[in-house]
Amino acid sequence: MRNTYLWLAQLVTGVLIAVLLSIHMVLMHLDAILSFLGVDIKDPTSWHSMIERSRETLWAGLYIALLAIVLYHALNGLRNIILELAPSAATERIITWTIIVFGTIAFVWGTYVPIRLLSG
Amino acid sequence: MDKQVVFKVQRYEPEADGNPHFQEFKIPAKRGMTILDGLIYIKENLDGTLAFRSSCRMAICGSCGMLINNYPHLACHTQIEELRSDIVTVKPLPNLPIVKDLVVDLIPFFNRHKSIKPYIIHPDTKEMENPTAEFVQSPQALEALLQFTYCVKCGICISACPTSASDRLFLGPQALAQCYRYCADTRDGGEEERLTVVDKDHGIWHCHLAGACSEACPKGLDPALAIQLLKRRLIIQAIGLGRKKQPASIVTPPAEVKPKIPFPEFTAKRTE
Repeated sequence: MRNTYLWLAQLVTGVLIAVLLSIHMVLMHLDAILSFLGVDIKDPTSWHSMIERSRETLWAGLYIALLAIVLYHALNGLRNIILELAPSAATERIITWTIIVFGTIAFVWGTYVPIRLLSG
Repeated sequence: MDKQVVFKVQRYEPEADGNPHFQEFKIPAKRGMTILDGLIYIKENLDGTLAFRSSCRMAICGSCGMLINNYPHLACHTQIEELRSDIVTVKPLPNLPIVKDLVVDLIPFFNRHKSIKPYIIHPDTKEMENPTAEFVQSPQALEALLQFTYCVKCGICISACPTSASDRLFLGPQALAQCYRYCADTRDGGEEERLTVVDKDHGIWHCHLAGACSEACPKGLDPALAIQLLKRRLIIQAIGLGRKKQPASIVTPPAEVKPKIPFPEFTAKRTE
């Protein structure tokens, strides 16, 4: 059932990306529309507002979750494409471990700042 | 329709020459003549060294799968007239190794078919080995899988599949559709064994649902549908939903009944 679980996770992360990325896009890049609707979030892309958001557990949690979900979805998809184009047992092992190591490094690197800010 | 048609046939002998090349033959085509008839005409009258595989000439055996005008067809099931062209290109099926000219090696294809255990697996092994009765199956239960039993194993779905083209280890639409055919059979109890075979890298999850297999199948089957239904079975099993089915029990066959209309006597008697 290993491959079924991996594929199921691919589908679930796809749906979650659509939800979380929509929230991100609306708040970061559609602030003009939000202010037109009466929601004033000031300058969302400035350094100060970013640091301020990262200190809030909800925002930091959302961004850490988005990072984990995007990394899984993208790297598992990339692994499937590579395995389809270069099918062999040796390639499979190398690709799987390279992707696990790369994903872990990227996740730790990406979560370092929000976790530092959260822990004060 | 009587006219001259040019057959551009791909010739290739791996042991003799390096690269596949085309050879042209002029065929006197008649109404109703199939591509297979054309190839037989070439072999009998123009070049006896041309190699191709055929048997039944009526789309039942699945031997004569070829790439005709760049589309996979059964040669015996494709009339020259329906192609509406004076030039007919004939190539071997892609995604399978070539043995000679139009003959492809079907051993990897049959090995994949065998890997999914294409037979009824029933826990009552005694009954399976020495049958005394029949396993029950309703007409409705048969209807759910009937179309997939018509597979003639011609390899055309594999040659049309874009995933099989890029991934030579991919199980392929034929084996996956047959896996569904046996898993959906109410007489069968081997679903778990089969699902472990298809739930692998290069297994069912590499199907991208292009649907080319269903479009190309000369018997009108829908392997893409079978693959989707098999995916549903896997997901249901993975998330722990669905009930475990019990394979059908046996029933004794109905007693012999006398036909209402008597069987007619033969009018012609055999003479010694």
